[in-house]
Amino acid sequence: MSNERKPLPIVEVLNLRKRYRSTEALRGISFSIGKGEIVGFLGPNGAGKSTTLRILSGLVAADSGEAKVCGVDLAEEEGEVREHIGYLAENNPLPEDFRVIEYLKYRASLKGLKGSRKRERIKSVLEICDLERKISEKRIGNLSKGFRQRVGIADSLLAEPRLIILDEPTIGLDPRQSAITRKMMERLRGEVSFILSSHILSEVEACCDRMIILSHGLIVAEGTLVELQKKFIQSVAFEIVSKAKKIELQRSVRKIDPQCELLQDDPVEITGRRRFTFNCSKGQETVELILRTLLEGNNFEISEFQVCRPDLETIFLKATKQNWQEMDLLGRGKNKISKPQN
Amino acid sequence: MIKGYWVILRFELFALFVSPATYVASFYFLALLGVGFRFFIESFVLTDWILPPLASLVVGLIFGAPALIPFLTMRSFAEERRLGTLETLMSAPVSNLGIVLGKWTASYLFFIFITLASFCFPLIISFWFPEQAESLGFDKIEQWVGTLTFLLIFGASFSSVGIFASSVTNNQMVAGMLTFTLLTLYLSVMMFYFGENIDSQFTNGPAQLFWSCFGAIFGGLNKMQYFSVGIIDIPTVLYQLVVTFYFLILASTQIDQVKK
Repeated sequence: MSNERKPLPIVEVLNLRKRYRSTEALRGISFSIGKGEIVGFLGPNGAGKSTTLRILSGLVAADSGEAKVCGVDLAEEEGEVREHIGYLAENNPLPEDFRVIEYLKYRASLKGLKGSRKRERIKSVLEICDLERKISEKRIGNLSKGFRQRVGIADSLLAEPRLIILDEPTIGLDPRQSAITRKMMERLRGEVSFILSSHILSEVEACCDRMIILSHGLIVAEGTLVELQKKFIQSVAFEIVSKAKKIELQRSVRKIDPQCELLQDDPVEITGRRRFTFNCSKGQETVELILRTLLEGNNFEISEFQVCRPDLETIFLKATKQNWQEMDLLGRGKNKISKPQN
Repeated sequence: MIKGYWVILRFELFALFVSPATYVASFYFLALLGVGFRFFIESFVLTDWILPPLASLVVGLIFGAPALIPFLTMRSFAEERRLGTLETLMSAPVSNLGIVLGKWTASYLFFIFITLASFCFPLIISFWFPEQAESLGFDKIEQWVGTLTFLLIFGASFSSVGIFASSVTNNQMVAGMLTFTLLTLYLSVMMFYFGENIDSQFTNGPAQLFWSCFGAIFGGLNKMQYFSVGIIDIPTVLYQLVVTFYFLILASTQIDQVKK
């Protein structure tokens, strides 16, 4: 037996539940986050991502369950927990009348920083977030969205927290500004744990070590990208770019493999052509057979075909679709309300 | 327990001193008070006013408070709730009570600043017209101490009402109107019982206890006659402190509701 002790996780959540009047926002979720890990929180709107993050930041109290940050129980020592956390709220609310430097000084004082340490930390976060001197003297109300977001991130980094919670940090930012946020996370990788909630799946895929996918208050998938690919896409995915109609193409594909599944409900259409992504459980040979048959038929005007590695979007759609089917939210189940017949 | 109090106090004071609305409100308030005071002093000998002339300033400030206090308090929580910055503030390691007390102290200090500025009027008279000032009793230090104490304790409770009103809404105009309404109601009840001995309506039992508490809180204006001659009525001071803490605790509870 190994004597090596497993390091204490930074975040430990056990059976967390939260209800807002008639809506059950969280239905008993459990997960943990290790030191230095960057974890992506994904889920459709109303999945419970922001509620989870607000509970972990001590802004909202959970109805039941246990949440520990740096080994400290949130229910018992909420104030102490906040000392370990840097939080960037969704929409990043900031006071408009203050200059960036004044605001950061105020936030540093609130977080208990004093004297030379306060000065050093402010200087350091201004540098990390690329808020040069000219910007730091400007009023927050006069800043662009990107700079405001950087001010929010600078604030969350001030007290050298062990956990940084970023709720939609790149929403509304241009690609260059999003890249700066990613660069900042890369710079702190390994030292600080991050929880990143985002709808931009490519961003989560690029910078997160692990993903947690939520749907209707439940964790529907958790793991690294490779683990999720193995779990959800055991089969081969392939893409077809064609002028064909969805139903006709699907019918032709299913003649060869009846289990072959079209992953998008509404395939992307560009200049009259659509990109269809299928998932075939019978392996590479069947995929090749499907391609040959479609090309021989010559009715579909296929311009592109490729076997692809399933990305996070595919996994996300599959995981949430599975959850919706289980909860009968697609309206196809037995409990579907039918029109009364006279 | 009141973590973050000093930082929030400094920030709020700074916010009050940089806000043009506060200066505009203070200027008009002091100008009106000054004009009123001048006319009162000029016609003092013709009135049947039984209190010392300095008490006229107290009356002006107390009855002007429903118009002044909203300008000092309405922004504190309502604006933070509207912008969403209350959430950012609460994500820092500060206590709810620290936030409420910090914001209240800032508005209260501004009220004290205006009170002290209004006391410059009798000071100016004392400096330029020492004989007239003496005949009006402006040289009696006990009157200055008494009237100032009266204003300070009522200012504390009035500003706590304003802070509470600001904590229940995210619209500063609604907060301002609510403060105005609550303070006007409070003053109306005090005016209704002015000159009456409320606590002697019942001589024993729980009713007497109730009326003595009610009388102490709502009969506060009756005690102005003591304060204006330099007699500090300790129960009045204590009861106004109770009102102050009651509304501050209510505001803190209201902020706690945000977490639910």
